[in-house]
Amino acid sequence: MYDLHLTAEQLEFRETVRDFVEREVKPVALHPDRLEPFEKPLLLDLLDKASRMGLRTLALSEEAGGAGADGLTSCIVLEELGAGDVDIAVALAQTSLLGGILFGQRMAPEQRKRFLPQFTADDRYHLAFAGYDPDPDIGWSYHRPHAAESGVETTAVRQKSGEWVVNGVTRFTPNATIAKLFAAQVRTDAKKPGMSGVSTLLVPRDTPGLTVRDPAWAGSGANGKAFINWYHGAGGELVFKDCRVPGDHLLGKEGDPIRIGGIPQLAAINLGIGRAAYEAAVDYAKLRRQGGRNIIEHQAIGTILAEIAIKLEVARNMVWKAAWAADHPDAVADRSLSDLPLETIARVFTSEVVHEATEGAAECFGAMGVMRDMPLQKYVHDALVFLHSEESNSAAKLRVAEAVASYRRPVAV
Amino acid sequence: MDFSLNEEQRAWQLKARKFAQEEIRPISPQRDQIADPRETFDWEIVRKGSRLGFRTLAVPKEWGGHGADFVTQALVMAELARGDSAIAKTFSQCWKWSHLIADCCTPDQKSRFLKPFLEDETFLLGLAGTEPNAGSDNRFPPADDPKAGWRLRAERQGDEWILNGEKCYIANATVGKLFFVTARTNPNVSITDGTTLFLVPSDTPGLRVGKAHNKSGWRFYQNAGLIFEDARVPDANRVGEVNGGNKTRGSGRVSRFGDLEYAANAVGVCDDAVGAAMQYARNGRLAGKAAIEHQMMQLKLNEMHMLTEVLRSFVMRVAAESDGATAHDVVNNVLLMNFSSRAIQRVCDLNLEIRGGAGVSLMDAHAEKLMRDAFIWTHIADDSAQRLRAVRHLLKATELKESDRRKLAA
Repeated sequence: MYDLHLTAEQLEFRETVRDFVEREVKPVALHPDRLEPFEKPLLLDLLDKASRMGLRTLALSEEAGGAGADGLTSCIVLEELGAGDVDIAVALAQTSLLGGILFGQRMAPEQRKRFLPQFTADDRYHLAFAGYDPDPDIGWSYHRPHAAESGVETTAVRQKSGEWVVNGVTRFTPNATIAKLFAAQVRTDAKKPGMSGVSTLLVPRDTPGLTVRDPAWAGSGANGKAFINWYHGAGGELVFKDCRVPGDHLLGKEGDPIRIGGIPQLAAINLGIGRAAYEAAVDYAKLRRQGGRNIIEHQAIGTILAEIAIKLEVARNMVWKAAWAADHPDAVADRSLSDLPLETIARVFTSEVVHEATEGAAECFGAMGVMRDMPLQKYVHDALVFLHSEESNSAAKLRVAEAVASYRRPVAV
Repeated sequence: MDFSLNEEQRAWQLKARKFAQEEIRPISPQRDQIADPRETFDWEIVRKGSRLGFRTLAVPKEWGGHGADFVTQALVMAELARGDSAIAKTFSQCWKWSHLIADCCTPDQKSRFLKPFLEDETFLLGLAGTEPNAGSDNRFPPADDPKAGWRLRAERQGDEWILNGEKCYIANATVGKLFFVTARTNPNVSITDGTTLFLVPSDTPGLRVGKAHNKSGWRFYQNAGLIFEDARVPDANRVGEVNGGNKTRGSGRVSRFGDLEYAANAVGVCDDAVGAAMQYARNGRLAGKAAIEHQMMQLKLNEMHMLTEVLRSFVMRVAAESDGATAHDVVNNVLLMNFSSRAIQRVCDLNLEIRGGAGVSLMDAHAEKLMRDAFIWTHIADDSAQRLRAVRHLLKATELKESDRRKLAA
């Protein structure tokens, strides 16, 4: 069986969000006044509006008050949002995904009762995953055991009262600046190796002892080197200083932290950027006259556009396939799908071809393709960031290579 | 075949390297980060560079300049660009048009314009060609549409020409004191047959600066619109024949310079990227060992070095060919420029990959800047029109050779 029909619901979602992006997001996100400055503050009004449309609670089950979207539906919606504004898309993707995992799978009934009403009632209630990275060099430790623990970690110590006292800095946390609830990975057992000593705590934003650092767009790092923020959405740093978290905020059991991922949400957003650049180039190529005709009628420009179309079509196939695979975990077991890390494959391929696609689209615009008040330079830049998001593509390929070799990594000790 | 530099060439190279390290580089990151495109410019660096001869490098010695050959120009450009690509281009833009003054202007024009150019440390040059509706059409006049190309009109009135129209993306427009302007003196024929070239000082009544273009890269380098509203230009400022402007512009040293200029500048950016990547790979650590010990890092460095050295060799070959040029064959110049764009993109991409080896939320600002500067090449050095232009020259050159062969046979 092989079926690429979308459901009526998926088609409706896509049309609704596409319409929202065209009418409301693009005119604001791509306005020259917003494109010219280096900093691009999150478009909070639009984020709220998207929230009211149900996009913040997209993956939350219907019985909990969400739309109950599966991975594929989420990816279809996120491509549309990515075509409008990457930052809004990334913020919604994170909250929606976590909403599905936390409320749908991991919270105890008591926890759910406490947090779900706040989450569904408040359009500005976002969620963030403050990840604990056992091996920041994953991939680079190719065919070798994990490197030693990074040493930078957030710890939680249980008090006699049952409370947790959290200390440490979680360096990069997507959604940090807008989240009202954090799922924070903390080391609860210093003796146990790897993730078996790590647990997840639910930490509301207003917990005393928790500070969120809103990063500047550019500045100087610890080593004195100048840096530029190189991520999408509303990232930030969490600083826990004797932060007291109630004992019953432990998510699940100790030593069993949540894991997120598997659904190629970022690849879908990235694909949206490529499509926005492509559509802009096609529109412009139909209007712009050089060489005695509209430039789309020149073989040179036609070929650029065709190459972009080919790349985006193939990337979409892979994104959808990986999303569907996440929705159907049995499909690997029954040998319908390869057991390679499909989400990683989708992400790496999409980031490479969208990078090329945005550059090709920019070429169609000539000098306007490098002007800050025009969208093309933004698309080029936004696509570049995806080449280095999560682990870099280089490391991701090494991880795929390990899967190809059926390498099993020994647990770190 | 001899790749060695003579003493004079070597001296210019070292002088440029020192200036780039000590003066250009320290101001480069700050200038790049200024949001207002008119404020990124810095007169002090122009004055300092002028005093060392970098503004007037290409003016012939008999007119009081330094008379540097193409090899020297390429060497100096690469060194300056290693400090900051856009600042290097601000200087080399003056070389470009001082070639044209020296080769195509009358003795009267030379004394009126070259002299103040040499004396005034802040005298910058530019050429106004591109218009909102004429970009590729100027470089590559289409057979399909004989009248395509710039539309700015120049009409004769007594001893003067009255210019009306609008130019855009003009280099040094906000800071230049003198511009060559391509104007249509016969709108009923192609730009090849209907263009006249004028020298227009920036204080000409009826000429004003339009929108300053805010580029993502090359931020120091000024580009803006120039608007001509009954701008009056004396006939004495006409360069070459009436309706012969394109021929004038396409002759002499300037016809070889522009393409070489982009490529030589790219060498400097690649050198900078390679240097930064090597340093990072040596000092950075990944998965418990030095980054450079990973095969994947080494392979990226291999490609960066390879492309940079191939580009350098091609630049020096074309520079040397251009110095000894006897034929009017500029195919290699254009192909070199095309290649330089692919090399600089790839080298700067790889530099970013090396910096972002472990995934990053904070990207090294320098690697990011180089990427934006490099991206300028894509629309100017290696877009489809520039690639096709190379082939057009190639066809012409091979046609000439074929006719020579037939002549010899007969």
